[in-house]
Amino acid sequence: MDFSKDQKHFKMLAKDFIKKVKDKEISVIKNTEKILKEAKNINKEYSYFNFISEEYALKQAQEIEKSIKQNKAQGSLLGLPISVKDCICTQSIPSSSGSKILENYIPPFNATVIQKCLQEGAIIIGKTSQDEFGFGGFSTNSAFEIPKNPFDKTRATGGSSGGSAGFTQATSLPHISIAESTGGSIVNPSSFCGVYGLCPTYGLISRYGLIDYANSLDKIGPMAKNIEDIELMLNTIKGQDPKDSTSLNQELKKSKIKKIAIIKESLDVDKQIKDLILERLDSLKIKYNLISLPITQRYGIQTYYLIAMSEASTNLAKLSGLTHGSQLHLKGTFNEYFSEVRSKFLGKEAKRRIILGTFARMSGFRNAYYLKAMKVRTLIINEYKKAFKKYDLLVSPTMPILPPKFSEIEKLTPLQNYMMDILTVGPNLAGLPHSNIPAGFINKLPVGILFIADHLCENNLIEIGKKLK
Amino acid sequence: MTKIGIEVHIQLPTQTKLFCRCKNPSTLTEAEPNTLTCENCLGLPGSKPSLNKEAIFQALKLAIALKCDINKETFFSRKSYFYPDLPKNFQITQYEIPIANSGFLKNIRIKRLHLEEDPGRLIHEGSTTLIDYNRSGIPLVELVTEPDFASPAEVREFLKELLSLLAYLQIYTRTSEASMRTDANISTSGERVEIKNITGLRDVEKALNYELRRQQQEIPRIQETRSWLPDKQITILTRTKETEEDYGYIFEPDLTKIEISQKEIQQIKKSLPELAPEKTKRFTQQYKIKESDAQVLTSELLLADLFEKTAKKISPESAAKWLRREIPRVLHYNKKSIHDLEIDETHLIELLDLLETKQITEHTAKKILEQLIEKPFRPSEYIKKQKIKVISKTSEIEQYCKEAIKQNPQAVQDYKTGNEKALNYLIGQVMGKTKGQASHKEVNKIFKKLINT
Amino acid sequence: MEINKELIQKIARNARLNLTEEEIKEFLPQLKEILEAFSTLDKLNTAKTKPSFQPIEIKNIYQDDISEPSLPQDIALSNTKHKKNGFFQGPKAL
Repeated sequence: MDFSKDQKHFKMLAKDFIKKVKDKEISVIKNTEKILKEAKNINKEYSYFNFISEEYALKQAQEIEKSIKQNKAQGSLLGLPISVKDCICTQSIPSSSGSKILENYIPPFNATVIQKCLQEGAIIIGKTSQDEFGFGGFSTNSAFEIPKNPFDKTRATGGSSGGSAGFTQATSLPHISIAESTGGSIVNPSSFCGVYGLCPTYGLISRYGLIDYANSLDKIGPMAKNIEDIELMLNTIKGQDPKDSTSLNQELKKSKIKKIAIIKESLDVDKQIKDLILERLDSLKIKYNLISLPITQRYGIQTYYLIAMSEASTNLAKLSGLTHGSQLHLKGTFNEYFSEVRSKFLGKEAKRRIILGTFARMSGFRNAYYLKAMKVRTLIINEYKKAFKKYDLLVSPTMPILPPKFSEIEKLTPLQNYMMDILTVGPNLAGLPHSNIPAGFINKLPVGILFIADHLCENNLIEIGKKLK
Repeated sequence: MTKIGIEVHIQLPTQTKLFCRCKNPSTLTEAEPNTLTCENCLGLPGSKPSLNKEAIFQALKLAIALKCDINKETFFSRKSYFYPDLPKNFQITQYEIPIANSGFLKNIRIKRLHLEEDPGRLIHEGSTTLIDYNRSGIPLVELVTEPDFASPAEVREFLKELLSLLAYLQIYTRTSEASMRTDANISTSGERVEIKNITGLRDVEKALNYELRRQQQEIPRIQETRSWLPDKQITILTRTKETEEDYGYIFEPDLTKIEISQKEIQQIKKSLPELAPEKTKRFTQQYKIKESDAQVLTSELLLADLFEKTAKKISPESAAKWLRREIPRVLHYNKKSIHDLEIDETHLIELLDLLETKQITEHTAKKILEQLIEKPFRPSEYIKKQKIKVISKTSEIEQYCKEAIKQNPQAVQDYKTGNEKALNYLIGQVMGKTKGQASHKEVNKIFKKLINT
Repeated sequence: MEINKELIQKIARNARLNLTEEEIKEFLPQLKEILEAFSTLDKLNTAKTKPSFQPIEIKNIYQDDISEPSLPQDIALSNTKHKKNGFFQGPKAL
């Protein structure tokens, strides 16, 4: 499928679709059948879904249509199909987080964001593919089929929310995806697939029910074909949750965009990318300055990975084949059993990160690695906070490269993989809201522009997204 | 020189668990396995802890009663190790900054006091293990002492005092003693040995005494960790220092830091009930009883309350005597604790009133008390039913005594030749025949009169 | 910091991972490279810096001691093959 020709198929806004549903102009059942058929077709070639929840979705659609007929239907997402990254728990729908160790795991509860979506009448059509537990920037670390770039099947979707971004681009029908970011996993694939993605302020959206990668870094956020859909989903799923102690009880600030700055170090990328970014910025006709964030630039990757791996290595300790997840025959001692299960069902990157994360917090190394990274994080946060005293938005390319071929990715060392996050780890470490806005194409491949705002200033991101159409 | 330090784990009787809102099984009767669990206390992916406010409050109460320094800010950590009773394979506990430091109880220094979650319960069944996670997530307070104990008996006394304090603070339940778990560090002639997971109160002293004896035979050359096996009444080696787990502590990122204000501490301090030392003083002064009696009465809050309520209607002296001596005696004999007592002050007042008005003898009163401990009933109704009365007529008692003298000539002879025990035998005969309804004192007097004439 | 086979095996044991010889051979240079890169944090002076365990500092979040329904037993056990009489079943523990 070649989507680059027909960018005009970004047709209907979700809110317009929902209105038509409420006005009985669109049949929810028919629309759901349509998108399920499309999803299955696309999935054969592109592998955006680990699981298409056909039965579940049709049942939901029937219930909604019934209540519409009875004039009882309510909900800000009524009838809207949504896809959900596989690391977000959906009750009675398999949630594997892209890992064999959770293959066919069926959560007995819904994540809070899913609960909210269901209450508003959304229809879950499936769980999207991803790097195992979020470990990766190309979705190539999936234990299942690897998602392919919608513009070029030999190239990656980006990661770790590759399936979400891919399907958001590929579908011709109104749809929003609920994705997740730890070090850049929303904006990275959004950029590589040419869609909008917004990663909110840490704590704005409840993490309850999100299968953890790194608890102090994980955030849930929407992906969509247009900024209005992003805004709709953001406002639906945000809010303090008593089940998530780190969720915020604060209102979003009103938008205010007076001064913008480009991150100087981020311009050290492919010239074509740089030029495209600057061109789009110029089109805004807002003056922009240059700002340097040297600590983030030089130490962001190390800081991010040390913290992420330390926390991840404890989160993954839950997976030992005892109460849930993939299991083997019970034999030997529990240590032997745990080791066998984990070694068999966890992927290579997961093992690498568990080892590094365990090391970083071992006594003797804890101060130099884990605690040190936490301190550098303070320096990085301060660097951003200082920048936001002067500026309302910071800008950079989202990714330093164009979507790479799978054959190119295979040649990268793990460290080279990690370095791909150079432009996105900063805001993720600091819990700052950031968004990918599709900026255009180079060699028929999408390029995205990254905007970063201060905490709770998502409305700046939305406003700039609207301005950049 | 023997040095012992302990780490005690006590379950807090909150309504819900420490990090989720499942009911806390320590306040319920037995539940079917895995019926008090949720995704949080099962450690399922995506679940997250949320802190129980009441648990902090109860831990603070205890810390303040133990005269600890309360930390202004505290937080939780993940302690990683793999074991089937630990659903997440890490325990959320407190590491760097606990709720409190530096307290004391009696003359034992308390190093720190913190909150952590209880793991599940394992049942070993041959080559497999059965696991019930109902217990997983119960709030535990862990108390760590300095190695100030010089003997296992001191440890037992300390733990008794601690349990009594919990009762005073109303953070005690009928399962508090049985569910208490102690790790003890003991060094006597060689390296330090840790004995882990001793359940209850009695076994602590037993395990430590066993260890002392064992260490005299086999002086520990390296630091060891051992387990106490209650069925075999021995300790076994579980690991040495070399094979210790590295817990890899990190800050628990799903929970927030908790600030504890001076105001809150003062409020709790003010609201603390009268504790044993103050109560002892007051009893001595207010009721004019001996200090040693007051100390026994206040060693258990229930006993102290029972005394005060009884002393409203009965002379404090009499109430003190019965409550400090007879009740503990009968409870001990029946292997019961004060918490198993089903009678209240009305039963005691009735009984002691019958005694004071001489409608029953002391002997009868004791017998009635023994029965009351087994099952409550109304003493006045009982004596009516049993047709118990006091045989007060001297002539009547004389009849019984003369009968006994006639039937037991040998005993009379023995007494005459100086054997006091023989007199007790004769008295016993009369007590038996009168079903204890004659006053022991009177019978004694009459026998002496009859025999010596 | 010497990253060698022994250290990796020690860490793997701690984390309950049985690494094959091939895996260790593959991981060793990768982990060395990564840890070398991570160690550059040394260059920053953080003597007076407080750690940020969370990006946005929130304090004093706790919930009231009011119970909510637990999972029914069969649901709690629904994700395991190994169960018996309402218990989870696991391998030998002692």
